[in-house]
Amino acid sequence: MLEFSPSQPLTLGVELELMIVNRRDYNLTRGSDDLLNLLARHPHTFDIKPEITQGMIEIATGIHHRTDTLSTELRSIRSLLLECAEKLNIGLAGGGAHPFQRWGEQRIYPKERYLLVSELYGYLAKQFTVYGQHIHIGCPDGDHAVRLTHYLSRQIPHFIALSASSPFYQGADTQFQTSRLASVNAFPLSGSMPCIDTWEAFNRYFGQMQELGIVASMKDFYWDIRPKPEYGTVEIRICDTPLTIDQPSLLAAYAQLLAKHCFDSGWNDMAPERALTYSYNRFQACRFGLDGILVNPEDGSRISILEDLLATFDQLKGVATELDGDASLAALREHVLKRQSDSQWLRDRYRESGSLSDVVRRQSELWMYDTSN
Amino acid sequence: MTPLETALSPLGQLTAFGIILALGVLGGQLATRSIRLPAITGYLLSGLVIGPHGLNLVSQSMIDASRPFITLAFGLALFELGRRVDFRWLVRERALAATALICMTAGFSALYWLLWQVGVPPLESACIAALALASSPPALLEILRETHAEGQVSERMVAFAGLCNLVAPTAFSLTAGLALYEAGSDVRQFLMHPVLQLVASILTGLLAGLASIRLNRWIGATRREAQEILLFALIAITVGICTRSNLLTSIALLTFGLSTRNLRRGYTVSSPYLMRHSALLLVALFVVIGSQLSLPNLASHLYLAPLFVLLRLAIHILGWWLMAPFNGISRRNGALLGMSLTPMAGGAGILLLGQDTPPFVFQAGSLLIALFCLTELLGPILTRFALNRAGETREE
Repeated sequence: MLEFSPSQPLTLGVELELMIVNRRDYNLTRGSDDLLNLLARHPHTFDIKPEITQGMIEIATGIHHRTDTLSTELRSIRSLLLECAEKLNIGLAGGGAHPFQRWGEQRIYPKERYLLVSELYGYLAKQFTVYGQHIHIGCPDGDHAVRLTHYLSRQIPHFIALSASSPFYQGADTQFQTSRLASVNAFPLSGSMPCIDTWEAFNRYFGQMQELGIVASMKDFYWDIRPKPEYGTVEIRICDTPLTIDQPSLLAAYAQLLAKHCFDSGWNDMAPERALTYSYNRFQACRFGLDGILVNPEDGSRISILEDLLATFDQLKGVATELDGDASLAALREHVLKRQSDSQWLRDRYRESGSLSDVVRRQSELWMYDTSN
Repeated sequence: MTPLETALSPLGQLTAFGIILALGVLGGQLATRSIRLPAITGYLLSGLVIGPHGLNLVSQSMIDASRPFITLAFGLALFELGRRVDFRWLVRERALAATALICMTAGFSALYWLLWQVGVPPLESACIAALALASSPPALLEILRETHAEGQVSERMVAFAGLCNLVAPTAFSLTAGLALYEAGSDVRQFLMHPVLQLVASILTGLLAGLASIRLNRWIGATRREAQEILLFALIAITVGICTRSNLLTSIALLTFGLSTRNLRRGYTVSSPYLMRHSALLLVALFVVIGSQLSLPNLASHLYLAPLFVLLRLAIHILGWWLMAPFNGISRRNGALLGMSLTPMAGGAGILLLGQDTPPFVFQAGSLLIALFCLTELLGPILTRFALNRAGETREE
């Protein structure tokens, strides 16, 4: 039985997985241990931890009510990381996947859970060297969490298009805006939460899976969005880590506005038919970004992701004013209208230099110093 | 002529090179499969066994025939070492430069004192102590390549070795100048010869670096293969010019590598596969180095050579142990880093190329060869052990 620890509704938290690269050819490097050891010598209260392979590091913010304080905390974490990374001469970068690393060269971080994952999933564990942003939204109870999970599932293509930053993978242009999700899809428990409409039903489902010996904890579900009962949140796991330090706060703001709209409107449309188009719409967003076409499962109508996003922004104007989130909504609208996509930025840099090493050098400078020369 | 040489003489230099390579690879495989030694130790042991001081299967003339290949291998390793020294990092991370300064000062003083105490003449003592400052670039890089080591111990090890390899030949050259002065040359020759040699070597490396950056930009990063071949060509030209003009090959090649790493737009020169593609030449280099080692020399310096090597090792370990916290690593890893620096530089230059070597050094040649015997054979084992214990290697 999973206990859902209630949390204050609409509170926010963000986790970011970051690349650790060497400054010689900007390939991934085994740097998480060195970085964590050095960080341990600095007095701080930030949540910085290793990830499944040693070319990754994860940072997480505390609980926030507003995105401006969340952004401030992210910048403070970056300052500390920057100080340590410079001492060690390693680079840190955003982006959903390293453009030219070879998965076979990655090393599993020696932590019990990661070693177990590696043993169970074989090469998938090393292929999971991809980098995402997770957003936590506070929920008052398990039923709200289940409802919000279903509601946000409809907006999954939006989050994919807004964060896509992994067009290159294993040295090639994938022609996708995000290639990262292909690595996640390979896991047997990936995808979306089944059509369950209450926390009690969720617990029954979890209990069955546990009895069958398929899962031991919520961590075994690699869903795009999942309830996180121990935190009292819903966790959106679909976003690529953006290239800049500010974009994660905008994505979190969007999630917060959607959640408020869901709670305030009493949204409760959890019809199983909605799952019909989930994978197709998700693919459209991964492949084409803002130009992807969404299919409405109710009437078969089609709309571009860009248009759907703009329509959703219009819907959210009221809740944005209530949450003092007008500026975030305006920034998101501008981002979409100007088609400012991270994946396009990466492709443009590649077109300039013809070198993926140089692309990573510039994305590392962008994340670390807000500049790229 | 050795029997093998007689049999192979109609087939020429290429066959000699092929034999050296084949025996080296087989020796390397034996070493790694039987007693899990680093492959590089196997190459060296192969050379020792088949060389003029061993079974004499490969004669000095066969070794001389492969000289162009091994000289190029030496140059490639120095270039790559230069590529790994990031001046922007050194400016920020002064602890690393300070550690290098401390280790080099303490190392030179202690080793000079030891040799002087046992009656080695001052100039010879200074020359040998200067040589001992630096660690062998080919050995360190080959161990890194073989073990896929990555991390702070590896990074600081190569950066430290790069700095020491800049200082050691300079100190050696100045001492050699002093020798000329003592031999009766005038003061201008004493000052000008090493200084001019040094400046000309740096300029040669710098020019090669600038040419490399300019030409790489013109070729474009999408034609990576052409860029890599060009890099090989420029390294070969630079090594050739240095050998012909009696310049300091190590300084020129290090400067070449350094400039492509640190000059503006140096990032256009990318060499991720240079060491991997150089493996063939490096195997030959180690076999030939091994063939020049002589165990009887070691026997004749049974106490001094081990004492010298132990003192050098102790200074590296102590220096890095003391400075480890300032370098952001644990004291344990600091000590391991000191241990990893055991392979001694200069072996390739002195044993094979014979360049930059004043005649009086050859009077101490017997001791030098004994030192190289120890550091070449034990060094790679200790380097691999240290990187392994630091948790930085990736086993295949």
